[in-house]
Amino acid sequence: MDDLTSAASSRWRRYAPGIPGAIALLVLFIGPMLFMLVFSFWETDLDFNLVPNWNVDNYLRFFTVPTYLRTLAKTLVMASAVTLAGLAVALPFTYFLVRYVSRRWQRLILLAVIVPFWTSYLLRVYAWQAILGERGALNQVLMFLGIIDQPSRLFVYNDVGVFVVLLYVYFPFAALALYASLEKFDFGQLHAAQDLGARPDQAFRHILLPQIRAGIITACIFIFIPILGEFLTPTVVGGVQGTLIANLVVNFFRGAQIAEGAALGIVIALFVTALLVVFRKYLRLEDVVTRG
Amino acid sequence: MAKGIDPLETMPVSPYARPTRWALWFWSTLVLGFLYMPIFFLVLFSFNEPRTPGLPITGLTLHWYEVAAGNSVLLDAVKNSLIVSVAVAILATLIGTMAAFVLVRGRLRHADSIRIVSTMPIMLPGVLLGIGLLIFFRRVLDLELSLLTVIAGHLVFTIPFVVLIVAARLKGFDKRLEWAAADLGADPRQSLRYVILPLIWPAIAAGALISVTLSIDEFIITFFTVGPQVTLPLYIYTQVKFGVTPEVNAVATVLLASTVLLLIVSGLVLRGGRKLMKRGAK
Repeated sequence: MDDLTSAASSRWRRYAPGIPGAIALLVLFIGPMLFMLVFSFWETDLDFNLVPNWNVDNYLRFFTVPTYLRTLAKTLVMASAVTLAGLAVALPFTYFLVRYVSRRWQRLILLAVIVPFWTSYLLRVYAWQAILGERGALNQVLMFLGIIDQPSRLFVYNDVGVFVVLLYVYFPFAALALYASLEKFDFGQLHAAQDLGARPDQAFRHILLPQIRAGIITACIFIFIPILGEFLTPTVVGGVQGTLIANLVVNFFRGAQIAEGAALGIVIALFVTALLVVFRKYLRLEDVVTRG
Repeated sequence: MAKGIDPLETMPVSPYARPTRWALWFWSTLVLGFLYMPIFFLVLFSFNEPRTPGLPITGLTLHWYEVAAGNSVLLDAVKNSLIVSVAVAILATLIGTMAAFVLVRGRLRHADSIRIVSTMPIMLPGVLLGIGLLIFFRRVLDLELSLLTVIAGHLVFTIPFVVLIVAARLKGFDKRLEWAAADLGADPRQSLRYVILPLIWPAIAAGALISVTLSIDEFIITFFTVGPQVTLPLYIYTQVKFGVTPEVNAVATVLLASTVLLLIVSGLVLRGGRKLMKRGAK
């Protein structure tokens, strides 16, 4: 009897410190998500009230209204494009860093990659407005060089602007993830492969790439997923044309169409969760988070 | 490049090795340029005279800093942001550190699933968290939105960061130190106070620091959970959206400078902590 109570109390003592965290998770995350799920099956009536009229129309709408489908497709294309570009920018960069730069400089350059993370995300997006905009630096330089004679609006308030800014905002995540896995790679293996007759590109493909797979997948996830929820960049530099899926969610909520917005939110959340579950084995959250 | 000791590193294996290396060097320089160009212009335009930020630079002035310093809405926003971020940092660090202990040492059943669910708020886009909270606060609990709801909203994603960082440190912790403490007669509370906490405090400090920075910068969740108050990101957003003057650039520059300063100071503090660690580990 005494044993039982002492076992229970020791277990209690073990779990007790986790209770505030569990409550926070339950009340501030799981609860809201569950209510979002519930409301996504309700209906917004003509007076913008939420009525418990259970149905799946909010979901069906996305697969029937072309605008939604088009925006969804465009978001996926944009996210994929930025992910590939992010890898293309970050992989050579981190490869050079790990292989050819001394430890001391590696640390400094890595810090230089991290510092912009610590500056306001909003301001980093805004900064691009002053570069890509009509009176922006890019136009001024191009005009000065005589390449164009009038300010161009080609760079901002469209998909080009959104692409450039998203690449800018997210490629550092890729750099951190890739750095973490390249750092563990033994470059002697590349020499060994070449000694054994592999061409440099073969050695790269068959020896290096498989060993940094976790880093590559983590990098992809850290670029791809946030873009699915990206609403600020399209708002600031995207204009009318640059709208992404999360802008639709926000617009629904601005228009007090909560049921519709909740349904679209749930679609995105499920998609993100599916990605995380599929790639959970490779995902190195700590590599990116604890460095940043 | 000072790796000349290793003959493998200096001996070009392929005739393309050297050009490749130069290409990589060139690319990396471009990448760093790309990273800092916007920040450079952001700062530069804060000193420029014309009312709209942009080129050409017609004259240098501190005028926009004076404008910012005299703007009561902005100062109020800064005050609100500081209140929120300090409250968030304290709560998130306390709650997150305690939770990390249970996650790492609680011998929980389904520990892996719990870990995944508890880090979900980091990976899930902020728009979804914000909207979920808005629905929950307004439609379910019928709360008035205020700075309190903002604080609650920021806790959602700052606690997981603290948990991750502290848990990583706790996992790397040499358990023998604790056994030694127990052997020498320390009770659990003393061992926590004199052995464990001194060893993991750099992680706790890093967690608090990240919480402050994330909270000050958080726009999306604030946007959905705030009442009539204005915080710094909300102020910047309205400025960016409607009528930009270099005042925003001045604010940005001050923010940037204070962040870098904070980083340097905390870097020094953490380095001090690490030295302490090494001494503790000996």
